[in-house]
Amino acid sequence: MRGFTAVFKRELFALFVTPVAWFTMTGFLLIQGLHFYLVASHFAAQPELSADSGPVQAFFGGTILLYPPLLIICPVLTMRLFAEERRSGTIEPLMTAPVGAVGVVLGKYCAALFTYALMWAPTLRYVLLASEHGSVDWRVVAAGYLAVVAVGAGYLAIGTMTSALARSQVSAAVLSAMACIGLFVLGIGEFILPDGPAHDLCAYVSVWGQMNDFSRGILDSRRLLYDLTLVALPLYVTVKAVDSWRYE
Amino acid sequence: MAMIEVERLCKRYGDFDAVRELSFTVEPAEVMGFLGPNGAGKTTTLRILAGFIGATSGRVRIAGHDVASERDAARAAVGYMPESCPLYPEMRVAEYLRYRAELKRVPRGRRRGEVGSAMEATQIADVADLRIGLLSKGYRQRVGLADALLGAPPLLILDEPTSGLDPNQIRQVRALIQQLGAKHTVLISSHILSEIEASCSRVLILARGELVAAGTLAEIRARGGRPVVEVWLGDGVERARRALAALDCVREVRDAPPPELGGACLEVHARSADPAALVAAAEHIARALSEAGVPLRRLAPAVASLEEVFHDLTLAAADAAEDAA
Repeated sequence: MRGFTAVFKRELFALFVTPVAWFTMTGFLLIQGLHFYLVASHFAAQPELSADSGPVQAFFGGTILLYPPLLIICPVLTMRLFAEERRSGTIEPLMTAPVGAVGVVLGKYCAALFTYALMWAPTLRYVLLASEHGSVDWRVVAAGYLAVVAVGAGYLAIGTMTSALARSQVSAAVLSAMACIGLFVLGIGEFILPDGPAHDLCAYVSVWGQMNDFSRGILDSRRLLYDLTLVALPLYVTVKAVDSWRYE
Repeated sequence: MAMIEVERLCKRYGDFDAVRELSFTVEPAEVMGFLGPNGAGKTTTLRILAGFIGATSGRVRIAGHDVASERDAARAAVGYMPESCPLYPEMRVAEYLRYRAELKRVPRGRRRGEVGSAMEATQIADVADLRIGLLSKGYRQRVGLADALLGAPPLLILDEPTSGLDPNQIRQVRALIQQLGAKHTVLISSHILSEIEASCSRVLILARGELVAAGTLAEIRARGGRPVVEVWLGDGVERARRALAALDCVREVRDAPPPELGGACLEVHARSADPAALVAAAEHIARALSEAGVPLRRLAPAVASLEEVFHDLTLAAADAAEDAA
């Protein structure tokens, strides 16, 4: 973990001192604001609400509007992490300092994850709004946030990996967006394929299914294990890639 | 204990040998020059020393620490400034140096002080609050140097520290390197000879990934061995040629470009590069010319300039490589 704190702080600084984070955050909040507005007005028109389908549940998994920003934001947040350092050559002073590959990779990844979580923070205001006008199950809210962070953590890890493997920021972003969208589309197979192993596999990797479960307060450890795999595997590859530059 | 020990270092990229069987040592408190034409393997070697890339084979030890098995200890002993000095343009100078100090694990309480003294040593305190992207090349280079000084490493490795600078900046950086040489061991690479001549006590000359010469500048000049006596005559060039050809100490007589003030110039190649023998040869030449009745205007014994030696050594390596192929 040598170098973790210094790298973490510098990455946060680089994200917020350049317009990238601010633009993505603004765009993200605009879309999520619209999303919540649509959800809220839909439920406002309904005379009766059932216990497990309120606006909060719908916000975290009832509509498709949750996903596109997720699939775009994660590649954007991670594309520069390594690709930019390699393009500009700053990777050389970085890797010749007494740091370890694990510290550098985790420092960069955690900075992206922290920014991602920060983006979600203002949406708590929507939940508060909903709670002022009706009852909100806070355990469901917690599960919903856990799910978006867990899913995002996987996507960000994939983005960190492609940033280390690709030669430019753009190809890093395109590669990770394709990987994330691929996983997302695979999950849709759950609703299309007939019962069988393919269906089960699709159901297991389905982001859609995960959000549906978690937004109803069902914490499935298999889902979390899958998310954890999606974080650990790409990060492991990234560490190996960063280490291999030294033996190129 | 030597500051740098390199034993039979090789680096291969596919079929291409970037560095071949390189061995040398650098003692503490030396300012060592690392010379060679572009593409000779200088940067590759320095990157291996700094721990940025690994070697294909061979062993490198920095201050007694093996760069492969004791990576961190070896890296901590080196202040490295890469070629072209890459920096983060969006950071301010002092901010960047504080970040670097933290990376190099300078204890929190000492960071501010170390950054301050590094900025003072490299004369960049006046731009401490500017963004690096706004700095001129000379300032950026000095930010890179300040970075190399953080953590008080005993060894500084500077890859082409004056490339892209104007003559005034080159002088400043050179003076700075001389100052640093008092406290640090310095390994500095360049393809500019005057730079090495000005600041280094010993040099290594690399060509095609191989060491072609090592030693003090005087040793290398002597080794380059092209002892020449330049002779400026009024007239009687033919008589002079005959008289000189009869001398034992003369190997060859060549025409040199005629001087501006009229007359003729000859390049007399002596047999021995030994300074005493060369001076003796010059005296023989003077006597022979006056006996032959040739008016002598000027006589200058000289050993080949470092530039000529460099040219000979690196080109000889290139020829040898072509012959082998």
